[in-house]
Amino acid sequence: MSDALLNFLIFGTIQGSIYALLAMGFSLVYGVGGILNQAHGAFYVIATYIFYWCFVNIPQYGYYAGMIIGIIATTIIGGLIYILLIKPLKESHVGVVIVTFAFAFFVERLVSIVVDSIYHNMPYIIPGSFNFLGVNIQYQYIIILIVSLSLLALITLFINKFKLGKSIRAVAQDSEAASLMGINVDRILAYTLMISAFLAAVAAVLYVPVETVAPHIGWNILLNSFAIVVLGGLGSLPGSVVGAFVLAYARAFTNYFIDPVLSALIPIIVIVLMLVLRPRGLFGKKEIN
Amino acid sequence: MKETKHDKISNFPSYLRDWIKTFRGKATIICLIGLGIIPFITNNSYIIGIFNTFMIYTIFAASWDFLAGYVGQVSFGHAIFLGIAGYTTAFSTRYLGSPWWIALLLGACFAVGFSLIVGVPALRLKGPYLALGTLAMSLILYQLFLMGSLGILWENAFPGTELFGTDGIGQVPPISDIPIVQYVAIFLIMCASMLIFTHLVKSKTGTIFKAIRDDETGTSASGINTTKYKILAFLISGFFAGIAGGLYALRFSGVNPGVFQPLYSFYAIIMAAVGGIASISGAALGAFIFVFLGEILRLLGDIPQLAVFGGFVEPIFIFSILLILIIRFAEQGVLKPMLERLQNMWDLLLGR
Repeated sequence: MSDALLNFLIFGTIQGSIYALLAMGFSLVYGVGGILNQAHGAFYVIATYIFYWCFVNIPQYGYYAGMIIGIIATTIIGGLIYILLIKPLKESHVGVVIVTFAFAFFVERLVSIVVDSIYHNMPYIIPGSFNFLGVNIQYQYIIILIVSLSLLALITLFINKFKLGKSIRAVAQDSEAASLMGINVDRILAYTLMISAFLAAVAAVLYVPVETVAPHIGWNILLNSFAIVVLGGLGSLPGSVVGAFVLAYARAFTNYFIDPVLSALIPIIVIVLMLVLRPRGLFGKKEIN
Repeated sequence: MKETKHDKISNFPSYLRDWIKTFRGKATIICLIGLGIIPFITNNSYIIGIFNTFMIYTIFAASWDFLAGYVGQVSFGHAIFLGIAGYTTAFSTRYLGSPWWIALLLGACFAVGFSLIVGVPALRLKGPYLALGTLAMSLILYQLFLMGSLGILWENAFPGTELFGTDGIGQVPPISDIPIVQYVAIFLIMCASMLIFTHLVKSKTGTIFKAIRDDETGTSASGINTTKYKILAFLISGFFAGIAGGLYALRFSGVNPGVFQPLYSFYAIIMAAVGGIASISGAALGAFIFVFLGEILRLLGDIPQLAVFGGFVEPIFIFSILLILIIRFAEQGVLKPMLERLQNMWDLLLGR
């Protein structure tokens, strides 16, 4: 019993920190630009498959090369998506949502054509595990925890202290006033999308060895990110971090103590409950309705 | 408002005559006649099957287009209604032995019920919640119907029947063993649905829908309960998507959990967007292009000489690019520009 409890705590924490990375990017893009990025899961898929492809095709250093190339390429693609697809359609809300939805499909199909559509597994960065109170903990988990928590801290610091971060917050508050103050709103939005893609890519390269590689994983990522930001409040960064851990613990709890199959239903239960009971989320601003 | 409607009805024949005189009316009638006589000029079950698919998808696309184009509520989970109705229809024809039309209506009713479940929480809020909430719901249903353990539970509770699991429900009897009867039934249902949609968007309720789309705050300030109308629109859309889902199950003689995938919501969106959003006949044209281009691409994929392109002629891949391009560069879709071109040519021929 105590084993299960420890496992639940460990896995919930790991999953929570990954979800926090994903949801923070998703929430940031919505909060700053009002852009509902349906291609958020696609960023995860792109990074995953570049990582996997490099790992298989580049001898010796493929694993690390794949990580770095995957993160960099996904970040660039995030910026390109904004410039090529979202910016021209910013006036029509429906257009942005449909285009990013179509892009998610495009990516799903592209990876299954270029690579394949079978499930794959990836090895851990540092294989092996250590024993902690009778439970085996993979080194990978520790790496995930350290990297994602420090990234979250860095991003928060960046948003609050740096000049670019302050411009991002200015655009989030009032994009027109921000552009009158000499802030290039389009550039800020492109940076925001790049940050979001970067966070998704880091989450992908860290978490893929724990999960599997498959073209359709992006939808699950999108679903969980959405559940988290509904829980925490669309556009609220602290809310998305808290929401990520709440959702992850809820999923891990059902996984270990109730029924693993039910854990897939947690996101929708969260979404429906929150929409009915408290639509603006735990930390959401009141005007989002 | 009421008077003009009354006038329209009392002047029904002349109203129709005026409509036929317009270019649009003529084109529609010609297309419908052409569609209606297909099964009488060919016996090829492959071609008839494609046309059946096209007509079913037309209803499906129109139901999405009605909701998104006329009411401004973008749903990314229309596959929910397709799937629920498909499952209900398949289940009741296969295991309960009900006639196809009762099963079809039952399926549509279930879809309406689900549109309430999905719509009521999501419609209390605006845009983004609806889009992602519906998408989330369809993903969850997909996983739910895929679950093997739930399938075992179901089989223990109701022996001899299958509902959950990867296989879905198979061996559903078709509408009729004679292909022509099935074709005509689908054709008539499609015509009726399109007629209802066209009249609905022209009616007073349709005006309210369009007002909600264009300015929701203004509409509610005019004393209209926008939530009520949005839910109404959701129910109507769910009903017709459910009809399409039931026909889908009957035409493909079965359903599997795959119908809940975001893929089918994507189908509806691409068909509506290709034809032009906010145009019911555009949805029909979009469905036509979608089904036939998809079929052509599938045939091209089988040609060994084209193997150099790898899997890149895969329909969904091409369609996702097409959808991105259309939304990015031609949000009007292809119907309106095409009709204008055709009308110019027609006028040129007549020497006008």
